[in-house]
Amino acid sequence: MPTKPLQTRYEDDQKLFPDMWHKVGLAIAIPLALAYPFLVNSQWLTVGNQAWVYIVGAIGMMILTGFCGQFSVGHAAFIYLGGYTTAILGEQLGMPFWMAIPFGGLVAAAVGLSVGPFALRLEGYYLAIVTLGLLFLVNHTLMSAEPLTHGAMGIAVPMHTWFPDEPGGLGNFSETLNLGPIELTVERKLYFFFLLIALVSAYGAKNLMRTNTGRAMMAVRDHDIAAEVMGINPARAKITSFGLSSFVAGIAGGMYACQQQYLTIDQGMSFMMSIQYIAIIVLGGIGTVFGAVWGAIVYVVLNPLAEELFEVAKPLLPMLSGLSSHQQATLLFSVVVVVLLIFEPLGLLGFWLRTKRYFMAWPFKY
Amino acid sequence: MMGNLIQLLAGGLSLGAAYALVALGFVVIYRASTVLNFAHMPLLTTGAFLMVGLCKMGVPWGLSAIGAMVLTGALAAAVERGVMRPMIGKDIVVTSILTIFVAFFLEAMVIILGGVEQRGMPTPWDTMRTVPILGAKVLVNSLVSLAAGLVALGGFFALINYTKLGVAMRAAASDQEASLAHGIPVGKILSATWFFSGVLAGLGGIMLGMFPNQVDPLLGTIALRAFPAIILGGLESPLGAVLAGFIMGILEVLAQAYLNPALGAFGQNFHGVFPYLFMILVLIVRPHGLFGVQEVKRA
Repeated sequence: MPTKPLQTRYEDDQKLFPDMWHKVGLAIAIPLALAYPFLVNSQWLTVGNQAWVYIVGAIGMMILTGFCGQFSVGHAAFIYLGGYTTAILGEQLGMPFWMAIPFGGLVAAAVGLSVGPFALRLEGYYLAIVTLGLLFLVNHTLMSAEPLTHGAMGIAVPMHTWFPDEPGGLGNFSETLNLGPIELTVERKLYFFFLLIALVSAYGAKNLMRTNTGRAMMAVRDHDIAAEVMGINPARAKITSFGLSSFVAGIAGGMYACQQQYLTIDQGMSFMMSIQYIAIIVLGGIGTVFGAVWGAIVYVVLNPLAEELFEVAKPLLPMLSGLSSHQQATLLFSVVVVVLLIFEPLGLLGFWLRTKRYFMAWPFKY
Repeated sequence: MMGNLIQLLAGGLSLGAAYALVALGFVVIYRASTVLNFAHMPLLTTGAFLMVGLCKMGVPWGLSAIGAMVLTGALAAAVERGVMRPMIGKDIVVTSILTIFVAFFLEAMVIILGGVEQRGMPTPWDTMRTVPILGAKVLVNSLVSLAAGLVALGGFFALINYTKLGVAMRAAASDQEASLAHGIPVGKILSATWFFSGVLAGLGGIMLGMFPNQVDPLLGTIALRAFPAIILGGLESPLGAVLAGFIMGILEVLAQAYLNPALGAFGQNFHGVFPYLFMILVLIVRPHGLFGVQEVKRA
């Protein structure tokens, strides 16, 4: 029973950071995020980079599923479209990666908008399976457009900082940059670049929830007919959410491409990625930016943890060694999610609200 | 030419029978609880693995088939009791997503206990034996899976329509609260529903193992190809699922034979996505599938 404190003024309702908790949280999180790449080794730095990618991807999914209530299994299609666009623009035109990423977003958004009309007629699982179909179609198209994508071979992601045949430029991205005592390796540069994108998308999504558009989406999610009676255009809300969501997903795809350095695609992998994003937002708590961010962080951190945990468990349970490391992570993650969701369908958000309420009401029960 | 077509149709029908069984398993649980049960996929794999395992232990073929089906059903009922029962009354989307993770868990268990290597599905006859029908050579395996599929489907319809348990299942599916008020133990009925869905999964797994004649942990992902059949038939309709399963099976085989070569480079493996394309086209005209129930919505 998560409840909001009673608000008596409109200004309170519209505040971006409504209470002390948000401010304290941000005051801790932002310096920590800035210091993180200098505090950890390269393995955990990679985890940090992945976390930003997954946070942006999860925010994209949250706009569609969390805000607008449209259940989609096709999220990976937009991610891969964004990633492949970034890689192809870099390879064919020599476009700098930071310029190609927004184009990835636009291509994904264009395809996302084309699904919009289906969302107007279909709902629930019907829409979900149509988006699954979209995923397989995109997958098939990327596989067979061999001159551009190199098919099953995969495509390397070039990291130009400026067009190679033009003068000027910003130096070589893969070189370490020294700013006084601060040493910026490639990974750290990517980290700050990703951090910037993630902050902008989280802030944007948070703000979206306060705008007319965002509130219309949430109204459609909660009760579409009632929303229509109130003068909201559900068609517009749904199509907007598809467009925005796939744009953000495309951006996340571009980031994913830069982070992975090499893109390959197959049907099982892309399906798994869609499922991962669904898992992330459900684990975090559907319908909030908090859920997207924390779901993504926990998901990304669980992977190396699973590896270490199974390393310890192997001598005790020899049959576990039949699993690949990816399967081990999936196994641990699914056990965590199943147990968590049975006790708390709101995910991490539910736990957070419960903890917060306990301390706010202390010494009383409620 | 004609023989070729008949051969393709026979292949399509037996693939369709497998799809129909898979789709029916999904629809049965969807009707009972409006949950789309993704855990059905690893249940198929489990069925096939149990069958192979039992045969290896020296159990006669027919007996191990029945044993694999019953055991898979019991596993499904256990999943219902352990994971699904606590979720009753909670958000249905969250419950559906939960089944995805149950699926991952079961899949990992299959790999841990069964290993990853491919194996053949044992059959009492020669696996490659064919019989001539109308000038086409048809695999005995295909015919058997077709027949077994039809028998199972018939048996299931009899259960649903003519037994007390079936009536109770339909009642629980249409309104849980009203069923409870009439003294129907909805929890037990749900368990029974999952059991039968598991039995169907076991049979489906055996047949999927028999038709391409290989059993590996990825066998269950064939269900991804059965999704268009479920949607095409309409989620609420068992009959629709079965019909659409056959339609999709035949379409897929025909697309593989005639459409793939016509599309050039784009046509490679195109039969894998063609059912989805077909489904999307049908949904444009009929948003609730061929036999789905269009709910009347009131504010």
